[in-house]
Amino acid sequence: MEKIQTGTGKKLKSVSYAKWGYIFIAPFFIAYIIFTLVPQLLTIYNSFFETYRIGLQQVGPNFVGLDNYIALFQPDANGTILILKYALNTMILWIAGAVPQFVIAMLLALFFTSTRLNIKGQSFFKTVIYMPNLIMAAAFSMLFYTLFSRVGPIQALLENWGVIDHTFDFFAIRVSVRGMIALMNFLMWFGNTTIVLMAGIMGIDQSLFESATIDGANSVQVFFKVTMPLLMPIFVYCLITAMIGGIQMFDVPQVLSKGDGVPNGTTRTLVMYLNGYLKTKNLGMSGAISVIMFVITGGLGAIVYKMLSAPYKDQNRKHRERKGNVL
Amino acid sequence: MKKLGAILMAALMLVGIVACTAKPADKPAEEPADTTVAQGKVFNIYAWNEEFKGFFEKYYTVPEGVTVNWIITPSDNGAYQQKLDEALLNQANASDDDKIDLFLAEADYIGKYVDSDYTMDISKIGFTNADTMYEYTIKAASDVNGVCKGVSFQCCPAAVIYRKSIAKDVLGTDDPAEVQAAIDSWEKFDAVAAQAKEKGYYMTASFAETFRAFSNNCTMPWVDANDNLQFDPQITKWIEQTDKYIKNGYTLTAGVWDAEKTNQMFAEGKTMCFFGPAWYYNFSMTNAMDPEKGCVGDWCIVKGPQAYFWGGTWLLAATGSDNTEMLKDIFETFTKNEDVCTKLVENEGQYPNNTKVAEKFANDPNWGNTMILDGQNDTAIFAELAKDIKWENHTNYDQILNEGLQNKLQEYFNGSIDYETAMNNFYQLIKETYPNIKLPAA
Repeated sequence: MEKIQTGTGKKLKSVSYAKWGYIFIAPFFIAYIIFTLVPQLLTIYNSFFETYRIGLQQVGPNFVGLDNYIALFQPDANGTILILKYALNTMILWIAGAVPQFVIAMLLALFFTSTRLNIKGQSFFKTVIYMPNLIMAAAFSMLFYTLFSRVGPIQALLENWGVIDHTFDFFAIRVSVRGMIALMNFLMWFGNTTIVLMAGIMGIDQSLFESATIDGANSVQVFFKVTMPLLMPIFVYCLITAMIGGIQMFDVPQVLSKGDGVPNGTTRTLVMYLNGYLKTKNLGMSGAISVIMFVITGGLGAIVYKMLSAPYKDQNRKHRERKGNVL
Repeated sequence: MKKLGAILMAALMLVGIVACTAKPADKPAEEPADTTVAQGKVFNIYAWNEEFKGFFEKYYTVPEGVTVNWIITPSDNGAYQQKLDEALLNQANASDDDKIDLFLAEADYIGKYVDSDYTMDISKIGFTNADTMYEYTIKAASDVNGVCKGVSFQCCPAAVIYRKSIAKDVLGTDDPAEVQAAIDSWEKFDAVAAQAKEKGYYMTASFAETFRAFSNNCTMPWVDANDNLQFDPQITKWIEQTDKYIKNGYTLTAGVWDAEKTNQMFAEGKTMCFFGPAWYYNFSMTNAMDPEKGCVGDWCIVKGPQAYFWGGTWLLAATGSDNTEMLKDIFETFTKNEDVCTKLVENEGQYPNNTKVAEKFANDPNWGNTMILDGQNDTAIFAELAKDIKWENHTNYDQILNEGLQNKLQEYFNGSIDYETAMNNFYQLIKETYPNIKLPAA
């Protein structure tokens, strides 16, 4: 009763629906803070401590300052700085998979969206190329492991043909293991990229393509002068998300190399390294690796974004300037 | 105010979501009529494979009204222990029905659990160790003060299991006594390996086949009291031997569990010797027992160059278990119940943790293993070997060090890296896993 009396008059005049907006977005922010932001901050915090388990016995946490970071960059007996080696592995594995992934995806996206080609049965092909993405990475990796293992069908087939002898081991050769990982990542992700790029191309006004063709541009010119600049925002988005995924590459190499990164750690990625420390709940060292990865991801993301969108922005500015001059 | 309201409501929604996934805590506090301590209705067992589950389901009658929950996580990459450790660390907070009651542990890491407060003194639940149990199985399950925390349902003296037909071809005889005489030292074993090679056979099928025969005869632990890593001469001997075997083509580069190795157990296999205890038949030799491609009856067992034991599964009582009577009952069934122990030998080819039952079979002229061997009395061989098993020089780091050394050296043995690099990788693994272990100066 009292409430109604105090509230009336004033409230009726200013009905605000803004609060509903806040209410509806709040669950995301709260979930984000609890499940992402707090763990992220804790990771950074933990990276300054010595904390791990010997069996069931907890060591630490003892504050050690930057010791974990220093330890990560300490060269081993052979003079190799392992984190750099694993970072390089990760990069090689990602690039080897991402280059064909983007080239093929771009070609397919162009074919599917081309009004001239007008490919039939598009939805069938789109489903098929997306299919590998639906398989669990670990299962896909297991499949490759079984196929190429010492007692697998491919080994047997090649032995029968006399291409290799029985001492041959796909998993003892750097190029073959890296190749398999790159191939799997490519197969799993090119469908996804194709569909996103197609959506981007279809978002471009068809009349621009038409007018370019009428002006006498060939398809290569249309692609580089019309499609690419207008697709740039979507392309950059694809590239950056793919890169973040690549830096976090884990399941495919982990399962394929049984966690060891064979041969000689050349397929061990940063997250596999991090995971190695988690065996004994070493939150200090794994936290330090996480922080370094965070910095790398952020840095690379910024560089890619700057590099790819700068000329495009430049063009826009010039275009505006030119317009201004005319006026 | 508005913002506060929004946050509050959102928080409520979130609580709702989270609450939905949590189990309702409706645990009736019932009072069983015939027991003094209330017993739980759910019995949780953590294990890394189905081996014990099979025996448990066949030979143990679960009390009425109790549900047995098996939580099985493969031990690859330490996954089993990680899962078990999380559950044990959370044991105090878990509801009675979610608490671990029993968990399985292997020789390589049993100490980690036995020396902790997460396992309980089994004399407190009314189990007394019997004279018929092998001394080393009790010692392995006891903490530094000698308090016993569990039992093993098996005893694992290990020996050399050889293919009769191949032995006949290589040595001219397949008689166990003569074969044993031909391979009763490592020097002789090496000589036979050379002979086998000449005839087109492999002596062993894995670079790590003989590892346990060496590592279980170590005279010092992997890590000393001051956390220094130390290489026992036995380990060095294993590396030297394997190096020679690989270079001479006496063995394969496969790991002990790899299909490439177990495929050698088919009738068409070219490998003469396999190293293993009684559990090895069921666990690793299923290819030999394959009805079409196998070769049951073409096998015999002898002591080999060096007596050793390998592995073994212990059943440990978890602190906080609310099914103590059932725990005691299980322990009794698999160690003291002669009926069950007899069946473990007869039907499962196991070697029991019961000297009385073992002796019975060892001295029975009519008893012979036909499951895989040619009817030879393998229990008699194991009984002899079991007498000498000692539990010593074990550390809580054994699993990571034993398996890590094999994994890292495999890359050296298969020719992809040199020895120094492989050892460096091994040290790196130790550094990553146990930063407290001091490595030998490079």
